[in-house]
Amino acid sequence: MNPWATGILHTLLLIVVMLLNGSLIIYMLRKVLGHLHLRLGPTELGPGGILQLVPDIVKLLVKEDRHPGKTDRWLYIIAPVIVFVPALMAYIAIPFSDKLIGFDVNLGVLMLFGFLTVIPLGIFAAGWGSHNKYALIGATRAVGGAISYEIPLLLSALIPIMLTGSFSLKAITMAQTTSVWYWLPAFPAMIIFFICSIMETNQSPFDMSEAESELVSGFNTEYSAMRFGFMYLAEFSNNFIMAAIMVSLFFGGWSLPFINPNTMGAFAPIVFIIKTYLVIFAFMFIRGTFSRYRVDQMLAFGWKKLMPIALVYTVVVAFFVKLISMKTGGGL
Amino acid sequence: MARWKFPVGIFKAMRIAWINLWRKNIVIQYPHERYELPERARWSVEMTLDENGHHTCTGCKICENTCADYIINIDVSVDEERNKHINHWLYQRGACMMCGLCVEACPFGAIHMGKNIELAYFDKEDLTDDLLTDTDAVKPPRKERPAPTAKSEPVSQEAAHDGAGKTGKSTKEEGGADGDNS
Ligand code: SF4
Ligand code: SF4
Repeated sequence: MNPWATGILHTLLLIVVMLLNGSLIIYMLRKVLGHLHLRLGPTELGPGGILQLVPDIVKLLVKEDRHPGKTDRWLYIIAPVIVFVPALMAYIAIPFSDKLIGFDVNLGVLMLFGFLTVIPLGIFAAGWGSHNKYALIGATRAVGGAISYEIPLLLSALIPIMLTGSFSLKAITMAQTTSVWYWLPAFPAMIIFFICSIMETNQSPFDMSEAESELVSGFNTEYSAMRFGFMYLAEFSNNFIMAAIMVSLFFGGWSLPFINPNTMGAFAPIVFIIKTYLVIFAFMFIRGTFSRYRVDQMLAFGWKKLMPIALVYTVVVAFFVKLISMKTGGGL
Repeated sequence: MARWKFPVGIFKAMRIAWINLWRKNIVIQYPHERYELPERARWSVEMTLDENGHHTCTGCKICENTCADYIINIDVSVDEERNKHINHWLYQRGACMMCGLCVEACPFGAIHMGKNIELAYFDKEDLTDDLLTDTDAVKPPRKERPAPTAKSEPVSQEAAHDGAGKTGKSTKEEGGADGDNS
């Protein structure tokens, strides 16, 4: 087959997966948050309101694409793309099963984080280009948050990498099928990773960049119609990606305990997706429980608490890994 | 540096949220389910009808004068025999704050606060309601007037004024502030 055709088909497949995922997560968010707050969430359209998303998407599609004056035109236009494309591309490195993985690079984790690091750039472009003070404040906050939280995030992701000795998500998952899942030996790293993922995906209690009560909607205040839709979708897609990375790094990926990973077959992606959605549920649970931090509190928490803990923990784990590998002569 | 405390509150909050997640639903889905209004609920003003289905409004306009928001507008005409006729009893439902002052003020119990909670309309005109149109006002039930006696005869306005002037005269003169006397 023509490599171009395959490439286009794969991209379309990715977009479909992303859209489905995004819609499911949006529905789930509404329902979970609703019930957490003793509400119901959508109920009217379809069973349990599951079709509510259809009119929502139609609304986004047919809405007028308003372009406010005085914007930095090119930044304004390109920002949703910068936010959307990395969120889409990150899907290719997620190992849904040992076969179902878009592109198994041996630096998969780094590649994923590389994609995710581009997103704050898009957010900043959106805030800067909008020519709106709320958008700009939201954008600077997003960048500040990303800088302070990405370091502990990467440090905590280093722990499973050190334990495995590989940057490949697939290898990390495979290593967990033979030993325990890494959340057990690397519990603090798992907690740090979880907290930083919440920050990375812009969710409450760290949703500084779009603090509705202070900044209207933060960096996307001036966006409407499908441009806003792209940003919105990218946010939920990031949610899925962070949860998927967390499952691969700490919760054994597609594997289940006491089951031979080679016999999983078609169940592997299902197990992986269920696990991912459980992590997403945990995100939403936190989101529905806690109120927003103040900006300085958030930065102080990132720099003064998470960062030293992550640093010390990484050094300690590195020390022990080296010690054990010296004793056993390589490998864990 | 702030004293380090174990963040118990985080877990407490999460426990409460978790319990709430599984709690029975307390939401009433309005158009499908309805809430039984309590006895004391008071919504828009309505006419109180007697057992014959007739209103008891006398057209005295006390409610109109009481309403702080000028919601009620009663158009009354009086014929030669001094019979009152209510042309319109206009009530601007959209602006009423349902305070109930008019109901309290009405000496004849002619109006009450109804229980109609569905006060949204498609048309602006519907917000103003004509509660009584072109009807005769009820004659207020009067007691027999007591026969006038010498004692109870009301003091005429002028006499009352003179009396007040006499008692206040000394103070007025001392002050010298009265323009007429100087
Ligand atoms: S409703 Fe009562 S207060 Fe108002 S005009 Fe009629 S009788 Fe008078
Ligand atoms: S309820 Fe209050 S606001 Fe409404 S008409 Fe009566 S006095 Fe006026």
